[in-house]
Amino acid sequence: MVKIEDLKRINMFKKMPDDLLEILSREAQLNIYGTGTTLFSVGDAIDTFYLMIMGQVALKVVLTDDIDVILDNLQAGRSFGSSALLADARASYTAVCQEPCEVVTLHGPRMLELFETNKALAYHMMTGVAGQYKRTMDKRARMIMKTLDEHPELKLRMQDLDELTPVY
Amino acid sequence: MVGINDLKKINFTKALPDEILEKISTVAQLETYDEEAILIRQDQSQHLIYMLVSGRIFLNCRAGSGQAYTLDELSPGHTFGLSSLLDNSPATYTAICAEDSTVITMASAQLLQLFKSDYAAGYQVMQQVVEKFKKRMNRHTRLFMESLSNHPAIG
Repeated sequence: MVKIEDLKRINMFKKMPDDLLEILSREAQLNIYGTGTTLFSVGDAIDTFYLMIMGQVALKVVLTDDIDVILDNLQAGRSFGSSALLADARASYTAVCQEPCEVVTLHGPRMLELFETNKALAYHMMTGVAGQYKRTMDKRARMIMKTLDEHPELKLRMQDLDELTPVY
Repeated sequence: MVGINDLKKINFTKALPDEILEKISTVAQLETYDEEAILIRQDQSQHLIYMLVSGRIFLNCRAGSGQAYTLDELSPGHTFGLSSLLDNSPATYTAICAEDSTVITMASAQLLQLFKSDYAAGYQVMQQVVEKFKKRMNRHTRLFMESLSNHPAIG
């Protein structure tokens, strides 16, 4: 169990009603991880949703044998591992603690059970996760456009530029 | 208001149950736009969700240098503007009709109001939004990695 005040420090919970935060606080656990701890790796089945209270976690993918790319360095208030709230999802990046971290965790399968009986909780959680994905997509699209702007010749070598657009 | 059969022609809504489509149809409208009509302007806030029923729409993006890119050419069945359900952040592209087009539009504020009165429907739609965003985000990551692996400093 964690305090509601701790949950309110998480960006995606800032607009969540207190009665729903009460439910989450009973399900949540506070964990401390040391520097260098790998929380999960690319391809792992994800069953935990992570909410950063303190510290820094790097989200990495391998570019070449010699180069890892850090997609994001997450700090207090950010969350990751939201695939745990979807059925049969796998990690698309590796998450590694860059310093000692204080992290609240929610167990994915338990949350999916709760979603069956509490649709308000389910709706608010999904809206929060969608917002998080949207911000990341926008950020990544800006990075790609900046790279193209600086090196227009790359456009010829890049496939599926239409994948940048949020169309469904 | 549009019929649920129109919504069943749209990729994003076709898998939703009829009872949810019935509710969504009450806040949906069918509009026609002329060639060259601009539906969304890059860097301006957006308030509508668009579902293309007939016609063709270009999504263009102007980069920092002023260089314009046509990122996508949409055909009937496609949905865009879903981001307006989440925040008031400005659009990342301009949507312009490449020919006369028929479009289902929904005000995101009305749809959000509907979700708050029926959380089960809201959850089901938002779950679909999340799954689609996740797939798209993974493709963005792949595209970003592709651009890096082709980058002169790395290649």
